[in-house]
Amino acid sequence: MMTSKQWLRMFLFSLILIALLICVFNYVTDPFGVFGDHFFQWYSFNFTKNPRVAKIAYLDRLHEQYDSYIIGSSSSSSFSVELLNEYLDARFFNLFMYGAYIADVTKTVQYIAEHYEVKNLVLNLGVVNAQKYDKGSDLLTDILHARTEGSSLLKFYGKYLFANPAYGLEKIQSFKRDQYLPQNFDVFQVTTGAYDKSLRDIERIQALPDYYEKYPVFLNYPQREYELDYLDDFIASVAEIKNLCEEKNINLVVIFFPLYSEHARYYNPEQVEELYTRLAAITPFWDFSLHRLSTDPRFFYDETHFRNALGDMALAKIFGDENKYFPQDFGVCVTPANAREQAAKYKTEYIFDDSNYTVEVPVLMYHHLAQTSDGPLIVSKEQFAAQIEALAEAGYTSVSLQQLVDYVEKGKELPPKPVVITFDDGYASNYEIAYPILKEYGMKATIFPIGSLIGKNTYKNTPHAIYPHFDYRQAREMAASGLIEIQSHSYDMHQSQKYEGETARVAMQPLPGESEEAFIAAVRADFARSRRELEAQIGKPVFALAYPLGKYSDLTEVILNQMEVKVTLTTEPGINTLIKGLPQSLRALKRINVDENTTAEKLLQKLGR
Amino acid sequence: MSLTSPLFFLFLVFTLLIYFTLPRRYQWFVLLAASYLFYATGGIKLTFCLLLTTITTFFAGLLLTRLEKKNHKKLVLALVLLFNFGLLAFLKYYNFAAAGLNIFLANAGYTLPTFSLLLPLGISFYTFQSAGYLIDLYRGKYRAETNLAKFALFVSFFPQVIQGPISRFDQLAPQLTAPHDLDYDRLKYGIQLMLWGYFKKIIIADRAVVVVNKVIDNFAAYPGSLIAIAVFFYCLQIYCDFSGGIDIVRGAAQMLGINLRENFRRPYFATSLADFWRRWHLSLGDWMRDYLFFPLSLSKPFYKLGKKTRKLFKGKLGKIIPTSLASFIVFFTIGIWHGANLKYIAFGIYNGLIISFSIVIEPYWNRLLQKLGINPEGRFWLVVQVLNTNLLVFCGRYFTRAASLGAALQMLKKTFFSFQPNAVSVQALLNLGLTKTDYLIVLLGSLVILGVGFAQEKGKAIRKTLEQKNWAVQWSLLMAMLLVLVFFGIYRQGFIASEFIYQQF
Repeated sequence: MMTSKQWLRMFLFSLILIALLICVFNYVTDPFGVFGDHFFQWYSFNFTKNPRVAKIAYLDRLHEQYDSYIIGSSSSSSFSVELLNEYLDARFFNLFMYGAYIADVTKTVQYIAEHYEVKNLVLNLGVVNAQKYDKGSDLLTDILHARTEGSSLLKFYGKYLFANPAYGLEKIQSFKRDQYLPQNFDVFQVTTGAYDKSLRDIERIQALPDYYEKYPVFLNYPQREYELDYLDDFIASVAEIKNLCEEKNINLVVIFFPLYSEHARYYNPEQVEELYTRLAAITPFWDFSLHRLSTDPRFFYDETHFRNALGDMALAKIFGDENKYFPQDFGVCVTPANAREQAAKYKTEYIFDDSNYTVEVPVLMYHHLAQTSDGPLIVSKEQFAAQIEALAEAGYTSVSLQQLVDYVEKGKELPPKPVVITFDDGYASNYEIAYPILKEYGMKATIFPIGSLIGKNTYKNTPHAIYPHFDYRQAREMAASGLIEIQSHSYDMHQSQKYEGETARVAMQPLPGESEEAFIAAVRADFARSRRELEAQIGKPVFALAYPLGKYSDLTEVILNQMEVKVTLTTEPGINTLIKGLPQSLRALKRINVDENTTAEKLLQKLGR
Repeated sequence: MSLTSPLFFLFLVFTLLIYFTLPRRYQWFVLLAASYLFYATGGIKLTFCLLLTTITTFFAGLLLTRLEKKNHKKLVLALVLLFNFGLLAFLKYYNFAAAGLNIFLANAGYTLPTFSLLLPLGISFYTFQSAGYLIDLYRGKYRAETNLAKFALFVSFFPQVIQGPISRFDQLAPQLTAPHDLDYDRLKYGIQLMLWGYFKKIIIADRAVVVVNKVIDNFAAYPGSLIAIAVFFYCLQIYCDFSGGIDIVRGAAQMLGINLRENFRRPYFATSLADFWRRWHLSLGDWMRDYLFFPLSLSKPFYKLGKKTRKLFKGKLGKIIPTSLASFIVFFTIGIWHGANLKYIAFGIYNGLIISFSIVIEPYWNRLLQKLGINPEGRFWLVVQVLNTNLLVFCGRYFTRAASLGAALQMLKKTFFSFQPNAVSVQALLNLGLTKTDYLIVLLGSLVILGVGFAQEKGKAIRKTLEQKNWAVQWSLLMAMLLVLVFFGIYRQGFIASEFIYQQF
């Protein structure tokens, strides 16, 4: 039996115990990273929950690794830290935060200028910054760090100590579900501070109708009207940042980010003119907001966010990078002299026309050839010759994959009616039958040999006879002709089930029960070997891979993209649309299968679509 | 200041600290100061209305004690009641009445203005409480309070001023002004009662309300079955919210050493609608009985009516008709008391009609039961009655929750004529704004409340029983309650999942 006094003591004790438990739990899980995240060290999760707070908490400890910053709304993430590092010989961190509230940006700039070494500051802005100024939210997911805000640290840490434990719980649950590819709970790349765009960078982007289907928002773009109610605050904030940069000797680059053309209609052109003239009086700024590319949704993720492609072009323009494609009229440096004229763009009606930066390219897919056909998959010498002759007569010009890359990356034009001819697996017949015919017509082609089978006429080191594969001497000879490119079909990820049994890896796919980690390591090792041997033997760079059996996944695309494989090819049928400046148009290319039954006539029909 | 806000919690702790540290003779003054501070956080201007009622009632009380002639007393009583109820009526019903009248006046080319009036918190409660005081004085039940400040405390006592219970002067006032020593038992019981109240309010009511609002605010989009479910949730919500609030109020008062009267007695176990109203919001029911029903039944017109009906109808029926009419008037008034809207009038008529009609048919009904061989005291009949009563209450709730009388009728129509039971599925329920966990919590919580209610109905003193258990049991229960309150109550809000954060960017 307990007295009431004892019960009351127990009650107080319980209250304190629960409060303590919550604090300890929040400290340990640290879902916003404010306490240093000593236990999980999962900064990409913390950044995702509240970049304003978590990035500052992260930089407070590690700012010595950086000397330059990009700041602005989430669209700032499309400016490549790597390119900026290259152009400015600096160590950039992308300090962007959700939402475009210039009040937060200004406070953050003041904080980093005061506490960190800052050589360069890229300030990414838009007209929208004068439409909203300060969100004024006190949610844990929105607030600034108390150090940035200059508010009470006690209150700040108290808030996070007593945060809803659901956040910590979410972190634990997410931790268990974490994978190599970003998920919506860890969308940041910690070392750069930018979004982890590994998935978005490999997303195949080609014909416009497909894009509309994937991103219907562009078909039904929301109509709104924005008033620039905070123009004065906006100008004052930029002036403050500008003064601070001069005082601290920081190189300030102000950019107006690219807009989707329909978004520009939200604004009143007179207000925009006022903004441009007043801003130009304070600082020159690079304006990429409107251009004919603004009408092409393929350069945008959604209503308000442009793709890295435009960010890369913008930086190439600012820093005069001749190796990168960007339309010459993309971006203008706005000064008091041209501010009015530039603002007038907001009155201009931009018409969509992609004819001078896109091209349709069919890719033909062959495998084995023979003097006479032995089943539809094997193309006879006669049929092949007829097909190539038909192509030549119809005015098709064969192009190499390198030419496709140059078109996309550098804007180098392709000849009229381009076509790519490809051969998978690396059969000796490619050398013996196809190569002489190609030479005769001066046609280019790309061959994808399986690394482990080069020069073999039995399956790897077994006595099992297979169609003979050409050897390195023959490969070198073909490559030296300038007509034939040799690229990768994997080193040994196209195994034969017949000879290796159940454990065979027939395509670039995880084996049953294989962990994600092991699979990633396997793909990396396999492609590295394929590339190393081909480059060593042939002396030409390997930058493309045809997927064995055409099987690919987001994960393989991401890994290969990280290994700088610029072109990947599948067996999905269709004709490709390449887009200058958009490297995603080279991913997972579609191919037209050509076999013995494809008469010259049928072939031209397929190409003519 | 909401009873569920952290501010109220702090406020209570500070009040308690000061209350029990100051010399005992100042305690009542601490309460007065706290009460006015509490009230003023709801709006300084509205405090004026509270003061007005306090002052007029106080001086009228003094006058009533001094006046000799009954007619004079009657006049004073009538004037002050008229003034205070007038104020209440004006603030609460003027716009409604004006809007109604304007429909007719429009033809005459004249319109009454409407005002954006703010209703003082708890005005219905403190007006009724003050009126009760004055009527009692008129009846000579006790002597008037001669200290204005003490009287002001009676009207404004902070935990109860917002939502009752409506207290009697002779029960409450002596407790308020008496000195109180720190009493651990009272503190403990007070805390326990408050925890129980919070459990009902923030664990159950705050969840149930999500479904209620979602469906009923857009009832046209839902089939009858889901509307019925929403109204059922509303029954749950209103009981847990109101009775939970009263528990918090009573618990807080108990910590201060003051016992407030019960306001709910497990109404879901009522065996008739009349019984329900004797268990639901008792303090209002009692007020109505003492200050409306009895005076009405004993009044001259009713006396005359009784004579006539006894002549017309022989036997019991003749006697019952006036009682039945008085009941009808009481429930009609209760309906209007709820607020200014046709739906409340309909609600009053609904209750009034059923109750007065049951009074009339009761004798015939009993005879019928006898013939059918059903024991009216038996368990079977008891269950039937309880279910029947809950069904009647349930139907009545359509009126109080719907946006308007029209909406209530349409909702009832949908429930009875397009029920569509197939529309109820797990997915359909999950679309109503609650998660599976939420539904589970509501279900388990309701079962706990029902279980506790059942034990109390059986006359078990639950807290006394628990006290006998060892500390481990008591601590487990306390921790369970606190953890539930913290994690499923306090921390229910204020969490934004990552997918919703990143989605916007």
